[in-house]
Amino acid sequence: MDIAAIEGSINSVGYGISVIGAGIGVGLVFGMGMQAIARQPEARGPLQTNIFLGFALIEALAILGFVLAFAI
Amino acid sequence: MSADARFLAAEPGCHLFPGEGEAGCGFEAPSVGMFSPEPWLGGIPGSDGIDLYLVLLLVALGASLLLWSWFSKKLNLVPGRRQGVGEMFVLFIRDQITRPTMGAKGDKFIPLMTAIFTLILFMNVSGLIPGMLPVNSDLSFPAMFALFIFVLTLVVGMRQQGGWGYIRNQIFPPGMPKPIYILVTPIEALSVFLIRPLTHALRLFATMFAGSLLLAVFAYGGWYMLSLGAEPALAGLSVLFSGAALIGYLLFFLFEILIMLVQAFIFTLLASLYLNGSLESAH
Repeated sequence: MDIAAIEGSINSVGYGISVIGAGIGVGLVFGMGMQAIARQPEARGPLQTNIFLGFALIEALAILGFVLAFAI
Repeated sequence: MSADARFLAAEPGCHLFPGEGEAGCGFEAPSVGMFSPEPWLGGIPGSDGIDLYLVLLLVALGASLLLWSWFSKKLNLVPGRRQGVGEMFVLFIRDQITRPTMGAKGDKFIPLMTAIFTLILFMNVSGLIPGMLPVNSDLSFPAMFALFIFVLTLVVGMRQQGGWGYIRNQIFPPGMPKPIYILVTPIEALSVFLIRPLTHALRLFATMFAGSLLLAVFAYGGWYMLSLGAEPALAGLSVLFSGAALIGYLLFFLFEILIMLVQAFIFTLLASLYLNGSLESAH
C-alpha cells in the first residue's frame, strides 16, 4: 500500500531544500556586513567588496541547485 | 513541450468552473517551453533562427545606443539638464560600482561598466511588457556577457601581472602557511576559473527565468480561474479568485522591476570585482 506516492519529478522540492542553506548564508553575510559597517562606517569600501564576494560565493550554491533541478 | 503550452490556458472555454454544456479542462501551467518561442525564420545553421529573443536583443541594443548618444550629444563644460542626468548615471556607476571595488585605477573601465549596466537593464526590462520575455531569460545572452568578462579578466590580469604571475596570485594567495595550500589551491582554482564565470552567467539567467515564469503563472492562472460562463454563485467566486491572482501579479510585477534593477547592478558589480583581482596582485 502506498501511503504517500509522488508522481513526476521532485527536483523542485530538492531545489527548495537546497535554497534553505543559501538563504541562511546570504542573510548572515548581509546581516553581519551591515553590523560591521555600522560599527566602523569608514571601512565601508572594503567591507562592501567583501560582502558581495561572499554573497556571490554563497549564492553560487543556490544557483547550482537551480541548474541541477532542471538538468537532472 | 512546445511554445503552445503558454497559449493553452488562454483558450476559450477552458476555465475552472465550466459553464453549461462545456467540458471542463485541467489547468496547464506555463512551462519551460515558453522560453523557446517559435522562430519566425528558422533553418539558419548553428542558430535558433530569427525569433523573439533576437528582435528584443536588437531593440535593447538600439535603445541603449540611442540613450547614450542622446546623453552625450553636444557636450558642454557646464552641463545642461540632459547632460546632467547622463553624468548622474555615470557618477552612480563610478561611485557605487567601480570606485569601491577597483579604486581610482579602475576609472578606465567606467565606460565599459556603464555600457554593460545599461544594456543588461534594457535586456531585462523587455520582460515587463506582457507577452514578451526578458532577453536574459535565455542562457546564451548572459553566458556571452560572462564569457566576455572572464576573457577580459584573463587578458587584463596577464598584462598587469604576467602570465604565470596572474595564475599564481589567483591560486596561491600569499601570506599563508605552506601546508594550507594543499587545501586552498584546488578550491581557489575551481572557484576562480570555473565557478565564478559559470555562476556569473547563471545568476542573471536564473533570476530572469524564474521571475518571468512566476509572472506567467499568475497571469494564466488568473485567466483560467475567471469563469464568467458558470452559474452566478460560482462566477462570483471565480471573479474573487482571479482578482486575487491579479493582485499577486501586480505585486510581483513591482517586485520584478526591483529584481531587474538589482540583478543588472550585481552583474556589473561582480564584473568589476573580478576585474579588480586582475588589476592588483593580492589583498
